[in-house]
Amino acid sequence: MNRAAMNPEQNPVQTKGAISIRNVTKIYDPEGVNVMAVDDCTLEIQPGEVCMVVGPSGCGKTTLLNAIAGFHSVTMGEIYLDGELLCGPSKPKADQGADRVVVFQNGALFPWKTLTDNVAYGPYVQGKLGKAESRQKARHMLAEAGLGDFLEKFPGEVSSGMARRAEIVRALINDPKVLLLDEPYRAMDELTKSIMHEALLEMYDRTRVTLFFITHDLEEAIFLGDRVVVMTTRPCKTKKILNVTIPRPRDYRVLSSDAFRQLVDETNEAVHEEALKAFEAGEREMA
Amino acid sequence: MAETETVAADHQRNPTGFQVFVVRLRRNLRTTTPYFAVLGIVLWLVVWWLLCEVLKAPRFEKMPGPVMVLKELLSPEPFLGISIFTEEFYQHVYVSCRRIFFAFCIATGLGVPLGLLMGWSKRFREYTFPILETLRPIPILAWVPLAILMFRGFEGPVIFLATLASLYVTTLNTLLGVDSIDESYFRAAGCLGSKPHHVFLHVVIPGALPFIFTGLQISVGVAWFSLVAAEMVSGDYGLGYLIIDAYMNNVTIPMVIGMVTLGFVGWGTSVIVRVVGSRMMQWRTRALALENR
Ligand SMILES: Nc1ncnc2c1ncn2[C@@H]1O[C@H](COP(=O)(O)OP(=O)(O)OP(=O)(O)O)[C@@H](O)[C@H]1O
Ligand SMILES: [Mg+2]
Repeated sequence: MNRAAMNPEQNPVQTKGAISIRNVTKIYDPEGVNVMAVDDCTLEIQPGEVCMVVGPSGCGKTTLLNAIAGFHSVTMGEIYLDGELLCGPSKPKADQGADRVVVFQNGALFPWKTLTDNVAYGPYVQGKLGKAESRQKARHMLAEAGLGDFLEKFPGEVSSGMARRAEIVRALINDPKVLLLDEPYRAMDELTKSIMHEALLEMYDRTRVTLFFITHDLEEAIFLGDRVVVMTTRPCKTKKILNVTIPRPRDYRVLSSDAFRQLVDETNEAVHEEALKAFEAGEREMA
Repeated sequence: MAETETVAADHQRNPTGFQVFVVRLRRNLRTTTPYFAVLGIVLWLVVWWLLCEVLKAPRFEKMPGPVMVLKELLSPEPFLGISIFTEEFYQHVYVSCRRIFFAFCIATGLGVPLGLLMGWSKRFREYTFPILETLRPIPILAWVPLAILMFRGFEGPVIFLATLASLYVTTLNTLLGVDSIDESYFRAAGCLGSKPHHVFLHVVIPGALPFIFTGLQISVGVAWFSLVAAEMVSGDYGLGYLIIDAYMNNVTIPMVIGMVTLGFVGWGTSVIVRVVGSRMMQWRTRALALENR
């Protein structure tokens, strides 16, 4: 169920940001030993969808995200963005571009730039806005995200939650088609996380940008997502796709509802099965 | 509401570098650190004095004690011609400082861009790194004859020799600085739509700055080191020349005066580099200040 589709009069249906991953395979080849990270993975993501990806550690989720972002090549298969080929047999590595912005697991705000300059960076280097206008817009957007008091602070001077919010703002100012998030809230306490979730949902309401969101936290996946994609253990492909039919807007009461608990159980089962497989495979490798 | 606004205003106002300096100085004076530092220097002087002037310990009997040196250094009419009241003293300091200035500027002006390019471009590094690594182990003194042949006069060879060692240090540290930049910053810059020159300007240079300034601090020390060596071999003025000249004339006090002055002037130059560094890296200074460092 698409969040945008829930409220057609308020939020016109998003038309851009469809990702189509078709039979993608990625084989790493360090030192001549092939490591198959992604095997024949196919996934269609609708425009404006919140697609949550879960799976055992080391299964190849980041690999898939990096392929979409253009950080590395794919071995086989194609990835399309809005029908346009990002990468395929003729072009193994996608170009990096501001239509797909990544929010990194460990945070990658430039520590040498203030929050304003960090956020203003994208529009400025793309030549969309001048220096002053991009800063102006950055200040405005940071204030909107509740960071108005920290405009001229450096990332090292604000909390990790604030830095993460600023990083999402830095991505959104480019008006991307897709936001790629690689476990952005890992290593955050529950309270901060719940605030971050609210901020993300609020931002999603305004922009309805497609989200490709990797996480380890099943509750987070179901709370935020339109769909939850469970990946198999390495090499990764889609094992199961759950539609989250809980209506939006969601708030924290949802967490205790029966429908929610049932979805968590269902996801848990699928993930646990794969985690167990991964564990056994690891044991075999050790033996 | 009014209260939250004033709090907000406080957040907006960032302390200037000087304010930070004063706050730190005050905080420092409240700790034991500066007093121990002074005590340490005093203790060291006392030991020197005891060894040379009171006990006249073996091997120290030829060395002038601190009282003798200070007396000469502070006397308006120095017995051996060198004190803070003679023009010659300042001439030596000035000449050495000027040489350091040129050498340091040349080494930094060449070394930083060279290191940045080597760190940034794999191809460029493949070409140049082996050259750097073979030149680096050659001791500065081994360059002396060539330097004298290559450059005329006194200034040329001395500045060349002082530049050489700092150039290696600066280049290597800058290179390591670029290597130290986390890959995710390059990726972030890439997916925000940077062109290569943006990456160079906004990621490579600022990201390497902490290493560059660590390198520059070592580099300025190394420059003094090789400058004095060079002045001892070829020179007409300068602190190194003062020392070797005193040795030739068999007077020890000007020698020690030269050494002590070198120590203080050298210290001063690395303080300058450090201050410039922390001014250029506000982001780092402020983040470190938060951790009380
Ligand atoms: N550059 C690389 N060279 C070789 N193998 C790699 C490389 N990057 C990742 N791998 C391997 O590919 C597999 C998938 O890695 P990936 O980082 O995509 O997993 P992940 O699902 O993101 O894991 P996690 O949940 O722990 O972040 C892992 O087994 C890893 O060892
Ligand atoms: Mg990962």
